[in-house]
Amino acid sequence: MSIDSVDPDDVDAADILGSAIERREDPSLITGDAEYTDDIELPNTAHMAILRSQYAHADIKDVDTSGAEEMDGVIGVYTHDDLAREDTPGELPFMLPVAWLLPSLNAVDHPILADGRVRYQGDAIAVVVAEERYLAHDALDEIDVDYERREAVTSPSDALAGDAPELHAEADGNVALDWEIGDESKTDEAFADADRVVEFEADNQLLIPNAMEPRAAVADYSPGTDELDVFMTTQNPHVHRLLMSGVIDHPEHKLRIKAPDVGGGFGSKIHHYADEALVAWAAKHLERPVKWVATRSETYITDAQGRGHETTAELAVSDDGDIEGFRVDTKANLGAYLSTFAPAVPTYLYGTLLSGQYDIPAIHCSVEGAFTNVPPVDAYRGAGRPEASFVVERTMHLAARELDMDPTEFRRRNFVDSEDFPFETQVAVVYDSGDYEKPMQEAKDLVDYESFRERQAQAREEGKYLGIGFSCYIEACGLAPSELAGQLGAQAGLWESSVVRFHPSGTVTAFCGTSDHGQGHGTTYAQIVANELGIPYDDVEVVEGDTDEIPHGMGTYGSRSAAVGGSSLVKSAEKVVEKGKRIAAHQLEADPDDVEFSDGRYRVAGAPDRSMGIKDVAAQSYLAHDIPEDEEPGLEATSFYDPDNFVFPFGTHVAIVEVDPESGEIEFERYVAVDDVGNQINPKIVEGQIHGGVAQGVGQALYEGAEYDENGSLLTGSMQDYAVPKAEHIPEMETESTVTPSPHNPLGVKGVGEAGTIAAPQAVVNAVSDALEPFGVDGVEMPMTEERVWRAVNGQATADGSGERGDSDADEGGER
Amino acid sequence: MKFDGTFELDDTTTEEVWLALSDPVLVAAALPGCEFLVEVEDEDVDFDALREQYADRDLKPTADPDVIEERAFEEGATYAALVQISVGPVNPTFETVVTVDHREFPEMSASGEGSSGDSSFEMASSMALSETDDGVAVDWETEADVFGRVANMGQRVVNPVANQVVKRFFATVQQELRELEMADGDGETDDRSLTDRLLGRSRGDKT
Repeated sequence: MSIDSVDPDDVDAADILGSAIERREDPSLITGDAEYTDDIELPNTAHMAILRSQYAHADIKDVDTSGAEEMDGVIGVYTHDDLAREDTPGELPFMLPVAWLLPSLNAVDHPILADGRVRYQGDAIAVVVAEERYLAHDALDEIDVDYERREAVTSPSDALAGDAPELHAEADGNVALDWEIGDESKTDEAFADADRVVEFEADNQLLIPNAMEPRAAVADYSPGTDELDVFMTTQNPHVHRLLMSGVIDHPEHKLRIKAPDVGGGFGSKIHHYADEALVAWAAKHLERPVKWVATRSETYITDAQGRGHETTAELAVSDDGDIEGFRVDTKANLGAYLSTFAPAVPTYLYGTLLSGQYDIPAIHCSVEGAFTNVPPVDAYRGAGRPEASFVVERTMHLAARELDMDPTEFRRRNFVDSEDFPFETQVAVVYDSGDYEKPMQEAKDLVDYESFRERQAQAREEGKYLGIGFSCYIEACGLAPSELAGQLGAQAGLWESSVVRFHPSGTVTAFCGTSDHGQGHGTTYAQIVANELGIPYDDVEVVEGDTDEIPHGMGTYGSRSAAVGGSSLVKSAEKVVEKGKRIAAHQLEADPDDVEFSDGRYRVAGAPDRSMGIKDVAAQSYLAHDIPEDEEPGLEATSFYDPDNFVFPFGTHVAIVEVDPESGEIEFERYVAVDDVGNQINPKIVEGQIHGGVAQGVGQALYEGAEYDENGSLLTGSMQDYAVPKAEHIPEMETESTVTPSPHNPLGVKGVGEAGTIAAPQAVVNAVSDALEPFGVDGVEMPMTEERVWRAVNGQATADGSGERGDSDADEGGER
Repeated sequence: MKFDGTFELDDTTTEEVWLALSDPVLVAAALPGCEFLVEVEDEDVDFDALREQYADRDLKPTADPDVIEERAFEEGATYAALVQISVGPVNPTFETVVTVDHREFPEMSASGEGSSGDSSFEMASSMALSETDDGVAVDWETEADVFGRVANMGQRVVNPVANQVVKRFFATVQQELRELEMADGDGETDDRSLTDRLLGRSRGDKT
């Protein structure tokens, strides 16, 4: 079941697409040869450190920077007032933009340095630039801030309750957005006529992203040319260039954003934070390179967090087990300000997935987004879709139990029929393709479901509690087309650009506007391009992440790279092949219509000995001694590919656990993942993405959770208190695939980056719920610590669905 | 967060403990990491000036009731202290300002706040003394809000530190009491005990 990597030299060129070849980026990454932002050492670099609020909510009466300024080696100390100075670059307001708008959105001001008020612990107040990094940090202690503390609020329901402290004068009652989707009256009717209503209520806790590499930036300014280079940890360099040019008021064509090797992001490096803009601003002001590298503690209080939902859901079902309606009400935590894509996450990336794999005739979802005194909340691996999948699959689990039906039979009964694709849901999306029974059946076979139930019954008699949990998830990747994204509020298109360029000697460089930060695009994109051009894989180099080298692109997030970036590369390669055909035909003295291209050779139809390899064509195109009269020299092509639709991967994950009711411990027996991500470019990379995704999903189910005290201070501010799972905490995963190609893109791919994270949490929670059924336990609040499990078994207050909320002690979360 | 506990001091009386805990010099000596603890005019304190003023001061806890009377904590008065505490990997020095809200034998309460470069706290504390078979029980409780870097370390780091500070404080108080008792026994000339004098009572006037 585990896939073995193969050496690309052992793969025929014709088979390269779809082969599990080794990742070509790994030698550099694992030997330390890779160059991360902090490895960049420009001569005369100064170092920046950022003074952050120690309170989650306070007025700033005064900031006295004189103590820091007097220190030897401190070059400058800057506050909001300094941004406004005549002799510093740019002009106010220096606000961070929000790149997704909704009609109800309260787009509050978000200054890059606090302007009289801080709204989360970590809000930037001042920056120090010094000759040495440690000196810059030491100097922070010499800045004297006169705070006047305000009351804080951290949960969305508390923030929206009416009597909560208000964060923004322009956001009445802390309402950030108010949004709905689906047909409310149709849904009400479905409930009015329903035999039964199944209720589900649970929180989806705030998570901290924990990319391996903390955020960092190095900026370098040339006063002579007004060129500003920013090397930074980014998932989307062009988006950052566009946004930053506005934030610091620097012309976009004189701003270069380059992503060196980036050590993971999980979404946290999509957004435009204050910090990187401050680095660029300081470099421009001081006319020397400036570097900032976040400490791990800093990332804990500033990286945009994920999830943060409080949800009540109801499912209307018939006694026979047919789903008739689904109603969802969610309070979403958006944190202190609106982060870049935050408005999309609890709305269009969430509500649109609430039909799951099911044919539900009526759905209505309302979402209220709240400002709270936690860091801005934005996309984190899965972004809205894990929250949706959690609500849907927990509800399905409870509905099957309520109806006393087998959970797989109840799901199967309500699946969208494989004949019904493309399938339009009640929540505004059209599923491209699917066959939902296949992965579920495969998963059931793998775990030997029937005999498991026998084993479970026997174990219960022996006082052992085994449970099985299913998660039949749906995922949406490659948000598209741009016109639709625009209608939904995106302030950007969601196409992707690429360039495929032959060099005169016949090797190729492929450029793409996506930006790898661990996914292995260097490998998979080369597989795509080599396959299209019929040339050796080793002859293709992939370049991403530099706004000076690559046409405007949208970056890597939302599992879009293969479906949109990969497809764009196909389009560019096709254009190259087409141009090559005209040159080859000219050279072969044939009509282009009579020339066929396959396996890297142009052949005249019916005359197999008259042929020419594409590399020779490339050479001829650059020599330009003998090409068609109206043809330009050279052989390269650019594409801006805008897909017709999202792609919708799906699958079934199954967790089997044993729960010890005495201690609350959960032990995995099996974890089976059967995913359908369409065609696979590289099955080993697909497997790796599933593994990583499941690890993060299991992390949410069992270990992770950002906990704040009543003042908004983060209590899980380090890896000692916030448990990112280690290898020993993660079950051995058994992965399998089914393949249902997407009809929308030339590769038939669907995207795999987030699938595991979307699928895993509810598989584990459902398994624990199943194990504890004899105790009448419906579920346990995530993270399912031993204490919470024990309390659930012993009838104490923390089981979800118990109606108790918001009373969890600060010290019981996120620890293990 | 809330901390509370009971500390038992052996072979002593509530009066003696009250006396000890009335002396800012003794409290400062007993409080781990405390550089000075002095009465100030108001809550707006210039710690740099105080630091200079009290840097070389070497006051010892005393058994001289006149001296203690002179400097004893007073209800409504405000005090400034400089206290260094080791919390995990950091050693912040807190500039602390505390007001004695209530002080009436055998109960005392105070509230205040402290701040260092990247951390701060707000607290309200109270204690009550009672007699036990072997000596005195001090029931204490503190409600504290911690902010900044120290808060981010979480309760698993902060709680043991707080408990350690309290434990060391009372252990030192007990030791000082023993030493003072010896001095007291040698030098007493007034026929009232030192405690009675401080409490403003005549001998044997127990409440």
